[in-house]
Amino acid sequence: MGPQPSRRSAVRSPAITRARFLRGALFTGGVVLIGGVPLLSRAPKIVHARRGQSDDEILNFALLIEYLEEGFYLDALSKNALSGELLLFAQEVSAHEAAHVQLLREALGNKARPPPTFGFGDDTNDTQRFASAAVLLEETGSGAYIGQGANLSRSVAVIAARIASVEARHSAWIRDIVGRHPAPHAADPAMTEEEVSAAIRETGYLS
Amino acid sequence: MEDLSLNQFDADGAIDEALHRLFGRSRASFLGSVAFAGGSFFAALATAARAAELGADEIDVLNFDLTFEHLQAGFYNEGLRFGALRHETRSWARVIGAHEQAHVKILSEVLGRRAVKKPFFDYQGVTEDEDAFTKTAVAMEDLTTDLLIGQLKDLRTPGLVSAVFSLLSVEARHAAWVRHVAGVLPVARPLDQAKSLREVSEVIRSTRFMKENPITWAKTAPRFTG
Repeated sequence: MGPQPSRRSAVRSPAITRARFLRGALFTGGVVLIGGVPLLSRAPKIVHARRGQSDDEILNFALLIEYLEEGFYLDALSKNALSGELLLFAQEVSAHEAAHVQLLREALGNKARPPPTFGFGDDTNDTQRFASAAVLLEETGSGAYIGQGANLSRSVAVIAARIASVEARHSAWIRDIVGRHPAPHAADPAMTEEEVSAAIRETGYLS
Repeated sequence: MEDLSLNQFDADGAIDEALHRLFGRSRASFLGSVAFAGGSFFAALATAARAAELGADEIDVLNFDLTFEHLQAGFYNEGLRFGALRHETRSWARVIGAHEQAHVKILSEVLGRRAVKKPFFDYQGVTEDEDAFTKTAVAMEDLTTDLLIGQLKDLRTPGLVSAVFSLLSVEARHAAWVRHVAGVLPVARPLDQAKSLREVSEVIRSTRFMKENPITWAKTAPRFTG
C-alpha cells in the first residue's frame, strides 16, 4: 500500500484533466467537475467534450467508493455484530463489492489507485449504525454512477452500468430491510463528484 | 431464477420492427461531441429532446424503451385493476406501476410525433394470479436492467446516457424490491448483464404478451448490420 493520502486528497486526488481542458471555456465561479459535463446544473450547457479522456479518473473515483464499501462490509463481518438479514446482506454485498473492485482494477491496470486505509468506528459494530451507514454508502455509490455515466466512453459506460445496476439493487435491498421506501423516485437523482466527495468525507471513514 | 424467466411469449412485431429500424440503419450520424446538462432522467431527456439532436438510432432505442415501458405499465395497471392481488402486493405494484407510467409519459413527450403507438397486450392470465403476477414482475424488472445496460453502447447523446443511468437505477431498485418481496435474493450476482435489443425482443416475443404490431412505418426486411 502506498503512502496514506490525507482525507481530502484521498477523495480528491484524481486529476480532472478534461475538466481542466474545458474549464476556461465553460465554468465560472470555480466550479470543478469531473469530465467537464455539468450534470446537475440547472441550465443546460452544450460543450464539446473529448471522449474517453477522463475514463481513468472516473473509474478511480468509482474504485475509491468500491474500496470503501468493501472495507465497510468486511469490517462489519469481522466484528460479528450482525445477525439475520443484515448479516446476509453484508455477506452477499461484500462479495459484490469485492468483484467491483476487481473489475475496476482490471479496467484501470497499473493506473488503479491503491486502497486507502479506513476506520469505521462503531458504524460496523452496531446494528442500527451499520444499517444507516449502509444505506448512505449504497445511495452514494448509486448517485455517483448516475452522475458520471455519461462522462465515460461508451464501452466503459457499459461496465459502469453493470456495476451501477447492482449498487441500485443494494440500495433498494437495504432500504427495504430497514423499512424505508426501496424506490422513492421515478427517476433516480445523480450526484456530482463534489456531492459524492462530501458524503464520503462526512462519514470520516477515510483516514 | 430460471423458473422466473419470461417464457411462453410472442410479440408479433412492435419490438421487432423497432429492431429492424435500429439494425437496418447506418450508424454514421453520431452526435458524439455534444454534451448536455441534466441530472435526472426527466431533465436529461427533456434537454436532449429540446436540443432536437438525437440520432436516428437513438430515436429507435427510445421507441424500443417506450414499447417496453408500455408493456410494464400495462402489466401493473391490469394487475391492480383485476383485483386478484393481496394488499401487500398491491402496495408495491401501485408504486412501481406509477413509475413505469411516468417513464411512458416522458418518453412519449420526448419522442413526440416520432413515438410508436401503444401496442395491445394480453398478459396471458398472469395479472389474475398473485403468484404468477409476482414472478412475472421479477422477470420483467430483471429484464429491464439487462435491456438498459445493453443499449448504452448504441447511445451517443450524453444527456440520453445520463437519463438511461438514472432509469437503470430505478429499474434495478424495482427488481431488487420485487425479488425481496418474492423471497428470493434481491441481488443475485455481482454484476448485472447486458442484453442486446434482439435478445430482449426474443424474450418478450416468447411471452406472447404483445398482441398487435403498433408500428406500421417499418415494412422493410430486417438487415442486421449491428
